[in-house]
Amino acid sequence: MPRQLVIPGEMIASEPVRLDNTYVENGKTFAKVLGFYESEKRQVIPLEGIWQPRIGDIVVGIVVNARNAVYEIDLSHFTRSILIGSKFDRQAYKPGDVIEAEVKDIEDRKTLILWRPRTLIGGTILEVKPTKVPRIIGKANTMIEQISKLTRCNISVGNNGIIWLKGANVPLATEAIRKIENEAHLPGLTEKIKHMLEEETQTTSK
Amino acid sequence: MADKSNRPQLIVDGKRLDGRGFNQLRPLKIEASVLKNADGSAYLEWGNNKVLAAVYGPKEAMPKHVQDPAKAIIKCKYSMAPFSSMGEHSRSGPNRRAIEISKVTREAFESVTMLHDYPASEIDIFIEILQSDGGTRAAGITAAAVAMASAGIHMKDLIYAVSFGKVGEDLILDLNMIEDNYSDCDMPTAVSPRNNDLVLLQMDGSLTREQLHNGLQMVLDAGKTISQIQKEALQRVYEGSENGNGV
Repeated sequence: MPRQLVIPGEMIASEPVRLDNTYVENGKTFAKVLGFYESEKRQVIPLEGIWQPRIGDIVVGIVVNARNAVYEIDLSHFTRSILIGSKFDRQAYKPGDVIEAEVKDIEDRKTLILWRPRTLIGGTILEVKPTKVPRIIGKANTMIEQISKLTRCNISVGNNGIIWLKGANVPLATEAIRKIENEAHLPGLTEKIKHMLEEETQTTSK
Repeated sequence: MADKSNRPQLIVDGKRLDGRGFNQLRPLKIEASVLKNADGSAYLEWGNNKVLAAVYGPKEAMPKHVQDPAKAIIKCKYSMAPFSSMGEHSRSGPNRRAIEISKVTREAFESVTMLHDYPASEIDIFIEILQSDGGTRAAGITAAAVAMASAGIHMKDLIYAVSFGKVGEDLILDLNMIEDNYSDCDMPTAVSPRNNDLVLLQMDGSLTREQLHNGLQMVLDAGKTISQIQKEALQRVYEGSENGNGV
């Protein structure tokens, strides 16, 4: 897949195109972020940066405030989010609870409305760079399923860069995720992680 | 500017004191993403200048009363290390000069950063001069632009900066400390290379209209080299990934 590193201000097309992470000026399209441009898929993938919420994103966050059936959830990156519970599950969550939910609506760029919550009980939380999340999940969840299977962990990855882990070998899963985060731009990562995990699990089981 | 009466001869046989031609840059070297804790960073060596730039953010603007609900604010701090100087500016800390350079740098970045993408946020730029030899504000902006890009901040362009000046009737590019002190004019400029917009233009001394025009042309020609070095610095960080199947 041909991909090309683009820097802010680099021209991507000489005609106006609507693409993420680009802007149009004088009828030409320019990149506005450091990233890879994939001409076939017509997308600019940012390499660094903060999370930009979209409707449908899965997020993991901590309940910080609960009033009646309205919960305020901290998603880090100082994005506030509000979850409105149904009237049957009044006070279903307490401050400190970790939940996974989906973004239903974006009020403004700082306030999100969530729905479809799921409580995550126990476990540990890990923060990663939000731009690396797609790589951690992998194509059609391959990467995360692999880690989950080989380390016997339940893993929940939020697009906001918060990852929740619980299971048999959390330290190894953490190590694998950190490795992906650091090498996200390199090819053949799924194989490399598989190799690493298999090696580790074999040595510990002996 | 120092006393002109004891000015050294800045141009000998059509060459400058350090052997450069009139429109020749000092050797420039940039390395991106050198600091782990910062969101973006760059280290730059330009002649004898050594500059470290770090960018944090976008994060929530603090204190809250400075927040702008519509856009981000940029805070910039330029400072010279106490051991950085080659003579003239031998005091470090927030002096008049450092405040001025912080302000012009901030304004240069405000004009290219997409501030409306980050409401109520702040972006912090820190520029630390480790060793100075003239033209540190230009070096600082050039380094900070790379740091901003490596932080993934939305920008219209990757700006660069360089100074030009005048000795007698000769125009010279990229002044070093001694030329800066004794030249007849010193003009730091910062340019947005996409459309050659000027985002910083300061002058100490005097120029004719024609000299200004020729000087800026010299800056734009040299800018292609600077932009290329900036881009290569960012490319090196992500080397080996062009043919990948990742992300």
